[in-house]
Amino acid sequence: MRKTIDNIRSITVAAAVIAVILIAVWLYRALGDARLEIGTNDSINLTPTQIESIKAVGEWEFLSISTEELVDTTRKRLFKDDQLVRIYYGTLRLGVNMKQVKPGWIEQRNDTIFLTLPKVGLLDHDFIDEARTKSFFESGTWKAEDREALYKQAYRKMTAHCLTPTNLKTAEDNARESFRKMLHSMGYKNVDIRFKK
Amino acid sequence: MRRIIYIIPIFLLTFFSCKGEKADESGVYQATDTLPMLITQIQKCTRLYTAEVKVHKIVTHDDVIQLRGSLLQKDFNFKVPLGERKIAIPMDATLKAYIDFSQFSEKDIERSGDKITILLPEPKVVMTSSKINQKEIREYVALSRAHFSDAEMTNYEQQGRAAIIQSIPQLGIFEIARENSARILVPMLTELGYQEENITIAYRKQYGVGDLKKLLEIIP
Repeated sequence: MRKTIDNIRSITVAAAVIAVILIAVWLYRALGDARLEIGTNDSINLTPTQIESIKAVGEWEFLSISTEELVDTTRKRLFKDDQLVRIYYGTLRLGVNMKQVKPGWIEQRNDTIFLTLPKVGLLDHDFIDEARTKSFFESGTWKAEDREALYKQAYRKMTAHCLTPTNLKTAEDNARESFRKMLHSMGYKNVDIRFKK
Repeated sequence: MRRIIYIIPIFLLTFFSCKGEKADESGVYQATDTLPMLITQIQKCTRLYTAEVKVHKIVTHDDVIQLRGSLLQKDFNFKVPLGERKIAIPMDATLKAYIDFSQFSEKDIERSGDKITILLPEPKVVMTSSKINQKEIREYVALSRAHFSDAEMTNYEQQGRAAIIQSIPQLGIFEIARENSARILVPMLTELGYQEENITIAYRKQYGVGDLKKLLEIIP
């Protein structure tokens, strides 16, 4: 009788040990896979692109100047100055706008073609690609007016650096060469090209 | 004699190989600073812009703190309360379609009698400018969060710009560009003495319907 009780006790202990081991294994597996992370999403939401206007243009581009400007602004503080530094990108396109040509801008006299083109200039005054702007450094809080002022500063710098008489002359020379090449390929050998002053 | 025959080519080979090494050693390294070239790139080109599309987009971003994980083999993902930020950035962009005449030559013109056919390359589209409406930017920031930094805002603006470029094939600007280029070139050819009915403006089919994205000039 005593032996039977001992056997039952041994079996019970063994079963308890096995159960503890199984629970431990289950907990280890369950909690071993446990993970916790905090995150944010950097992507923008999907929104439609709306067409505001469509128009026909006739602009011949003969020189393209891609540029970037580093501009900054500083605000004086008691202990430490605030600073905002941004890099703006833009492309100035020089050429002639065909909407400015006068009637009779092409004339044929004997075997010569005479072309009178409008003055070479900046085709589009909106040339900064502000959505490409890179933020280089920021300390402190800045308002829309400050960013607007930086944009204007970049615009002035780009215009001063790129809209030079040398570049306008290069665009004019390339315009002359391109029109001559086009008319030559159409079979006109003698071409006289002039620009309105 | 036989030995000399073997030795002469070996000697010549050694001589020329040594000469080559000497030239390499005497080479002077010249450092080239490429930075100024990156700042301003001036490029001569011959492009006829024929269509302009102005687009408007409101870039929005919901910045919520997400608590994600798994416990007891069950995944969970929920928003942390009072940790939300939102921003809306209105932006305008100008897209222009152009015909590239830089490779234009005699082979692009076909003439038979009084008739002339001009073969043009397919129009391409480029974003010529974009403008962020800074004063119209609206943001909501929970008390526990910091304001949107300039770096974050420019990142969202760059994503908005990329989304506009992706949407170009749906805007129909290529068709308008083709029509308008004829409107510019035909009067020019009539001034040169061709009758309007004798002028044909055709396009070289360089791309298939599914290749419209190849016609976008993407500036990184």
